Amino acid sequence: MSYVLVVAEVRRGIFEERNLDSIGLCALLGKDAILLIPEGDYGMNEQLVNGLVRVKTEEALFLNPLNMVNILEKVMAARGKPDMIVFTNSASGIELASYAAGHFNLPVITDVNGYDKERGIFFKSYYSDKIFGEFRPSGEGTFIVTVRSGSFKENAAGKGSAPPAEAIEDVAANAARTFVEYVEEEKTDVDITKAEFLLSLGRGIGNKDEIPDYEELAGLLKAVISGSRPVIDKLWLPKARQVGTSGKTVKPKVYLAMGISGAFQHIAGMKDSSCIIAVNKDPEAPIFQYAHYGIIADIHKVRDALKGILKG
Amino acid sequence: MNLIVFTKRVPATQEEELRITGEGKAVDLSKVPFKVNDWDNYSIEEAVRIVEKSGGAVTAVSIGDAESDEVLRRSIAMGAKDGFLIETGDVLHDPNARATLMQNFLKKENVPFDAIFTGVQSEDDQFGAVGGILAAKLGLPFVSMVIGIDATESDHLIVRRELEGGLQERVKVMLPCVISIQTGINEPRYVSIMGVRKASKVERKVFKAAGYQENVVNKIEVVKWVYPPKKAGATILSGELDGMCKELLGILKEKGVYQ
Ligand SMILES: Cc1cc2nc3c(=O)[nH]c(=O)nc-3n(C[C@H](O)[C@H](O)[C@H](O)COP(=O)(O)OP(=O)(O)OC[C@H]3O[C@@H](n4cnc5c(N)ncnc54)[C@H](O)[C@@H]3O)c2cc1C
Repeated sequence: MSYVLVVAEVRRGIFEERNLDSIGLCALLGKDAILLIPEGDYGMNEQLVNGLVRVKTEEALFLNPLNMVNILEKVMAARGKPDMIVFTNSASGIELASYAAGHFNLPVITDVNGYDKERGIFFKSYYSDKIFGEFRPSGEGTFIVTVRSGSFKENAAGKGSAPPAEAIEDVAANAARTFVEYVEEEKTDVDITKAEFLLSLGRGIGNKDEIPDYEELAGLLKAVISGSRPVIDKLWLPKARQVGTSGKTVKPKVYLAMGISGAFQHIAGMKDSSCIIAVNKDPEAPIFQYAHYGIIADIHKVRDALKGILKG
Repeated sequence: MNLIVFTKRVPATQEEELRITGEGKAVDLSKVPFKVNDWDNYSIEEAVRIVEKSGGAVTAVSIGDAESDEVLRRSIAMGAKDGFLIETGDVLHDPNARATLMQNFLKKENVPFDAIFTGVQSEDDQFGAVGGILAAKLGLPFVSMVIGIDATESDHLIVRRELEGGLQERVKVMLPCVISIQTGINEPRYVSIMGVRKASKVERKVFKAAGYQENVVNKIEVVKWVYPPKKAGATILSGELDGMCKELLGILKEKGVYQ
């Protein structure tokens, strides 16, 4: 029977919310979703899927791409080839998906954020969301996608009954890559998630020497400073200040973004702010799509003008 | 340790207005400046640091047109020993096609390595898939999102991979392996124009991609390029700079974050 295999992302006992986007895509395609998940109590709503395959293995082994291909081999031997295998578009989802694509020699489209059912087309972002490519597999047969968080979850709907479950056992563990431990981020005294007003700086500030002038502006506005990933990568601001998927998720009353383009990994971390104000010299910057207010201008000039007014 | 680092020349589109041409057939990049993929800059730096500490050599490899020589010169200026260009005029959108070309090249040219580094993704297509596909094709262990290399031993590496929300995972991976490097793993050294000029005296080898085409097929196809659907979008403030800034302060007052 035709089906889509949804590889669940679970970590430290949690069924990640973004799995709903993978399930939602199946609903949009009108295909049965079979969820592949390690054995354990993940407290998810099982009625969202048409079937479950529980893998008798530890979570860390399940999340290891070298073992995942063995698991997938077993699933396909038992159930036949799926029409599609769906992963989340996360650190682990992309890692698993790409390795499985190489191992099974399957087409892969990552970071899918839309689907046109009539034309059988997947939308994928290019150039930091300035352009979308309409993609499809070139031939027939199984293909792999990873799904951008937030894209399809509203399509996930309960089926009204508990789905049948199968089990997979005796998964060989590959010793070439092994989990050692989790490493938590160091605790610091600033907590940008608690701030009501964030002045967030992006790569557009140009260089580290500009930081003190923005700190002065933040002081005058009584705002807390945060930043996009490149600003943290370049050590212009400490890691605790990073907003986005690999940093913090923030929901301040006001998020004032200066020189930030609006890549989805950044947007995911701030889109629920009550009011987003973006300053950027590029009128096409994707951040203006998410902002409530925008100023198209040079950020340094805006900074200096604001300082001028505030200092009276 | 001998390390191969794949590096790509990409359009720097962050500040550019992009135009789709030919009814969706192409994206006009003719006026866009090009640069090294940010992720590869960190990969080269990481590889060079490892050989500076424990010996061996870094080979930078790029797939692209003749202009991609630029990122090889840059890699050599940073400390790579060799620069290889797999020359092709075609843009390979399918990560499977790219990884297969790499696999064929490494096999045919018999390039020795203990580990292969790629960037987590390239900025232009954001696929993030080439490293994983290549690893599986070569039958090697793979780790992506590497944000720290804690130990380099003769038969394995201990690396930290970045997950979401600041969490990291420490992983042991046996050599040889493929790892994909995340930005922020190090502070890439500054490359001066003088340095690049000096590097251009080191010979870079050019290999025609035509020689490595076995099984290089597009498993996915681009039907069309489109602009992202517009959302409601922001209310854009207008007028003189001072006026806009006063309006901005008014909004901050209204939202209750500034008196
Ligand atoms: C696995 C993974 C995880 C990631 N996690 C995160 C994350 O947690 N957080 C995050 O932010 N990113 C993250 N990223 C990176 C993300 O994809 C983008 O690269 C990043 O968000 C871009 O940051 P930016 O907007 O500051 O820089 P850019 O995209 O370079 O944008 C700079 C902007 O500044 C504008 N600008 C430049 N100069 C001026 C000026 N003088 N005046 C006005 N405007 C100007 C430009 O027009 C441009 O829009 C992640 C990426 C990956 C692959």
